[in-house]
Amino acid sequence: MENAQLSFEHILNATVRMLRTTWKAKVCLFLQLADNGELRVRASDGLSLDELSTIAVQPSEGAIAQCFSNDKIVEVNSPDALGPLAKLVKTHLKKDQKFVLSPVSGETRVLGILCLGPFAKKEKIYPRESELRSAGALCAVLSAHWRLYEWMSGFVPQLNHELRTPLTAVQGSIGMVLGGMFGQVGSDVKEMLEMAQKGCERTVRAIEDYINNQNPPK
Amino acid sequence: MNVLVAEDDPDIQVILKMVLTRLGKCEVSITYQGDEVVSQAKMHRPGLILLDVMLPEMSGFEICRALKSDPETRSIPIIFLTARAMPVDIKEALAIGAVGYLAKPFDPMTLVTQINEILAPLGTSIGV
Repeated sequence: MENAQLSFEHILNATVRMLRTTWKAKVCLFLQLADNGELRVRASDGLSLDELSTIAVQPSEGAIAQCFSNDKIVEVNSPDALGPLAKLVKTHLKKDQKFVLSPVSGETRVLGILCLGPFAKKEKIYPRESELRSAGALCAVLSAHWRLYEWMSGFVPQLNHELRTPLTAVQGSIGMVLGGMFGQVGSDVKEMLEMAQKGCERTVRAIEDYINNQNPPK
Repeated sequence: MNVLVAEDDPDIQVILKMVLTRLGKCEVSITYQGDEVVSQAKMHRPGLILLDVMLPEMSGFEICRALKSDPETRSIPIIFLTARAMPVDIKEALAIGAVGYLAKPFDPMTLVTQINEILAPLGTSIGV
């Protein structure tokens, strides 16, 4: 699970690097929409991911809102329009330059934003819109899989816990009665309790087979 | 021996108290709050702590780290007794200083034996 997650991170970072070099930009960032509605930097080239990882951008802020809400490529001349990213991007943006924000669109909604630049103000970006959209689509697929693996890595231990905890109470109670802690039980009762105990043991084996020994497909 | 149990499920609390008292001949204290585990461990110096992993507020791993970083509680043996029994969890538990790891569900009639097998290298045991 961890290796798969690491692979998605590497591929996503490599995609962003490829995009930056292809477009001859200094910086390329991929911001992903998190569950809390904020945009967070998930892949970066040209800027350190460490300094970016704490930055949270609201999709309703400035130029980001235009890109995100309208699913539209937006050119930004002033770093201030980039909200919390402004401080980091400022040093890379001169007067006659611009940054480009491109939406990363899923099937039904915008999942994130690519932030790419700087470019000369006169450089025409829109004729190459399909290139940006394709790169965004690739980021969207990778990001969706990454999120799925992240979710699975939390869901599987939780499911394990939720199934094993009630079984502990059931199996523990039956075990104590069958073990004679409360005196001897009749043969009919014993037979029924042994049946219940076997059912618990089968369920535990199923948990171990399906959850504990589950590996992601290679 | 005094045994401190950190467990948040009320049914499992009952089972553990019964097993450890009757079969393990122990005095048992039970709590489910991390800070209480740490303060009770300091105050009563139990001979053993049985620790669940998924507890509210502080996880069992966090509690274990806190106990092992404190010179007053460092030497108390900790055994995890938890439903989080994936290999990665077992590895982490042992890495942060637990002496053993028992998975739920457990067999109440052999629990004392299993605990003693873990405690044997330390020269201590329960139920005798």
